[in-house]
Amino acid sequence: MINYSRFSLDNGLRVLLHEDKSTPLVALNILYDVGSRDEDPGMTGLAHLFEHLMYGGSVNIPEYDMPLQMVGGENNAFTNNDITNYYLTVPLENIETGFWLESDRMLGLDFSQKNLDTQKNVVIEEFNQRYLNQPYGDAILKLRPLAYKVHPYRWPTIGMDIAHIENTDLEQVKKFFFSHYAPNNAILSITGNITYDLAFNLTRKWFGPIEKRKVQFRSLPVEPAQKEEKTLTIEKDVPSTALYKVWHTGLRNSMDFYTLDLITDLLAGGESGRLYTKLVREKKLFSEINAYITSDIDPGLIIVQGKLMKNIDIRHAEEAVNEVIKGLQNRNGIKDEMEKVKNKFESSTVFSNTSILNKAVNLSFYELLGNPDLINQEVDAYRNVTQEMVIEATMSYFVPSNCSTLYYKSTRKDK
Amino acid sequence: MNSLQRVQPPVFPIENIVIPDPISFRLSNGVPVYFIEAGTEEIMRLEFTFRAGQAKEYLPLLASTTNMMLSEGSQNYSSEDLNSLLDYYGVFYNLSAEKDQAGIVLFFLSNHIEKILDLSREILFRPVFPETELNSLMKKRLQWYMVNREKVQNLAIDQFFEAVFGKHHPYGYQVGEQDFERMNPALLLDFHSKYYTPDNMAVIISGKIHEKTTELLNYYFGDIPLKKIYTEDSVNILKGEKRKKVHINKPGTVQSAIRIGSSTINKRHPDYPGLKILDSVLGGYFGSRLMKNIREEKGYTYGISSSVSSLDLTGYKVISTEVGKKNCQKTIDEIYSEIRLLQSVLVKKEEMAVVRNYMSGEMVRMFDGPFALAESFKSAWEFGLDNSYYYRLAEKIKTIDADEIIELARTYYNIDELYEVTVGSK
Repeated sequence: MINYSRFSLDNGLRVLLHEDKSTPLVALNILYDVGSRDEDPGMTGLAHLFEHLMYGGSVNIPEYDMPLQMVGGENNAFTNNDITNYYLTVPLENIETGFWLESDRMLGLDFSQKNLDTQKNVVIEEFNQRYLNQPYGDAILKLRPLAYKVHPYRWPTIGMDIAHIENTDLEQVKKFFFSHYAPNNAILSITGNITYDLAFNLTRKWFGPIEKRKVQFRSLPVEPAQKEEKTLTIEKDVPSTALYKVWHTGLRNSMDFYTLDLITDLLAGGESGRLYTKLVREKKLFSEINAYITSDIDPGLIIVQGKLMKNIDIRHAEEAVNEVIKGLQNRNGIKDEMEKVKNKFESSTVFSNTSILNKAVNLSFYELLGNPDLINQEVDAYRNVTQEMVIEATMSYFVPSNCSTLYYKSTRKDK
Repeated sequence: MNSLQRVQPPVFPIENIVIPDPISFRLSNGVPVYFIEAGTEEIMRLEFTFRAGQAKEYLPLLASTTNMMLSEGSQNYSSEDLNSLLDYYGVFYNLSAEKDQAGIVLFFLSNHIEKILDLSREILFRPVFPETELNSLMKKRLQWYMVNREKVQNLAIDQFFEAVFGKHHPYGYQVGEQDFERMNPALLLDFHSKYYTPDNMAVIISGKIHEKTTELLNYYFGDIPLKKIYTEDSVNILKGEKRKKVHINKPGTVQSAIRIGSSTINKRHPDYPGLKILDSVLGGYFGSRLMKNIREEKGYTYGISSSVSSLDLTGYKVISTEVGKKNCQKTIDEIYSEIRLLQSVLVKKEEMAVVRNYMSGEMVRMFDGPFALAESFKSAWEFGLDNSYYYRLAEKIKTIDADEIIELARTYYNIDELYEVTVGSK
């Protein structure tokens, strides 16, 4: 059971606090309710580029990292489809430096041309390193536009075209900041060795004076239900052929999310998952196979991806995957497996919550979903999934008309 | 807007670290055990570690394959049973074979301790290395290997180790496709019987340690007899290659990987704490000189870093980055000029202060919680050191001065001795 308190400031900043006296550290996590789904289709990748720009100096502080390192702190950030999330940990003596830094960059950035130019290059190198210079690195770039036709999830966080990053100018950057970075569009979580009173006073002192801003209203196109199966075949010089299959899911905030999450664990949770046991161990069709559900707020995806063993026909491998999924509709023997994945989910939640940083990140995200108590409720939500729910979800979600498949074929002779 | 003073940071000194000493004792057969009681949750981290790493192997892949096959079937359980049971009890585990040590780490809820010890004994002392599972593992590993050999960073680090430690020592040699065909159950059984022995083992346990742990450890592991067999260490000698610069051509890549470094002292050497600090200044943290110059000033890369690592027989330092290929040579030149700068110009007080404080914060993190405590303990213990190593490091972080940094840079970063490995398309 994780105890926490909540409060908010007049400027709209929402704050969550969890005390943990067993650590000499404090974590601050600040979530901005902006992700790549909020980008203009002609200017994608901006939310992520912005994450980089946030380190280039703010109104009163020429450089973010140096003063934090100066007090023994450490930080990082990530951007996804839905949110941009910044976090730091610092020895408890110096938690005020964290408030000082985070509040100043919420107040405003330095907006220097030099920083923008450098970070554009860094992001382009990041794009090259992650997506172009790795075998199969571009698969996700192909999958998104295959699965989504209108919703902004159709482009990846790095951007749909690297030219969008290259063309970004300072005016666009400023506009993006003031329409998304605001106390009334952020959620601050504070966890670790700090009292409620200190956390409250420091939050009021450093974030209180920042004024509310007019945040851009979110109105996203709804992805229409997929009507027929979609496929794409690409051929590349990679060591072996890979198969990617995705199915649309419902909202993050629906009970089906836990059912589908449990299904992916039955399929691929650990070495004893069904896909691994049947297709890697027994039939030796794949060298590796995985299944997971994206944690997107709008309807997301279930993704199954695997690399084929040599000389295996991809249609045959795909059939075998479909067969395993279909097997979930069979009641026999599933009871123990469900108990197994539920136990595993519970223990992974306990492990995750041993870290003050994970607790801070989770509290902010659950608050954004509208219920911070999910941090204590998700294990039960997952435990409450029944065999009937698994069967029903398998029949309604895993149908061909809801599926997109990418055949990523190796052009090598001895593949 | 208000009178809040936002320009000066509010800075307070970090208290000295206090590291809890583990409780140590021996099982009936003499196996050393270390208990580190820590944390708030009812969870445990259990590590069994053996001197069974690559340094002991007489064929490439032997140490890692033996290790990976431990959970693929035992006298009393099939591989599927073992994995289903571990999953059923919500266990997370990692099998690993590093250059010196090999073993298993398990994470679980404390009340499952007895079942976990029972399964651990099966995995560690009763494996059967079934041939079918072995063949299928080797096929998979070959495929993973083929994928990894597509990545410039993997080609670069493999080549780097070969250059620095030589083609004939397990620290240095590279794995080839043919090595995947050489493994067989008899070889694994032999390696296992020599190196996975109680004589060669230690147990490190941290978290909320269940009260019956000592008794259960003795029950499951205390009666396994010592083997007292003499194993000869590899006669192969560590010897770097003559050629200092190696380029591997990899057509079609958009980025080149760079690895620059050499062998160096390890943790047992008195200069090691100082070298760690020097390494931080150069490339050991986000605000390091290499990051500032190559990423934040020039935007050549997504990341660049340097590190110093200890091995049982030696140590090494390496600078690593992936850069756009047109900036490859420029980056290499900048790396050398940053090293020269450290050898000739005193590091300013302000920069020393940042590094001192950053590293002090890192030390707080290294001892935060049961998992971090166990890892830090192990990485000193492996070298026959105890927590006094960390107190020496903490003291050095406080007291080192700029002259000593120059001295260390001159002693340990002789540019003529550095190996330079690049992988990419020219």
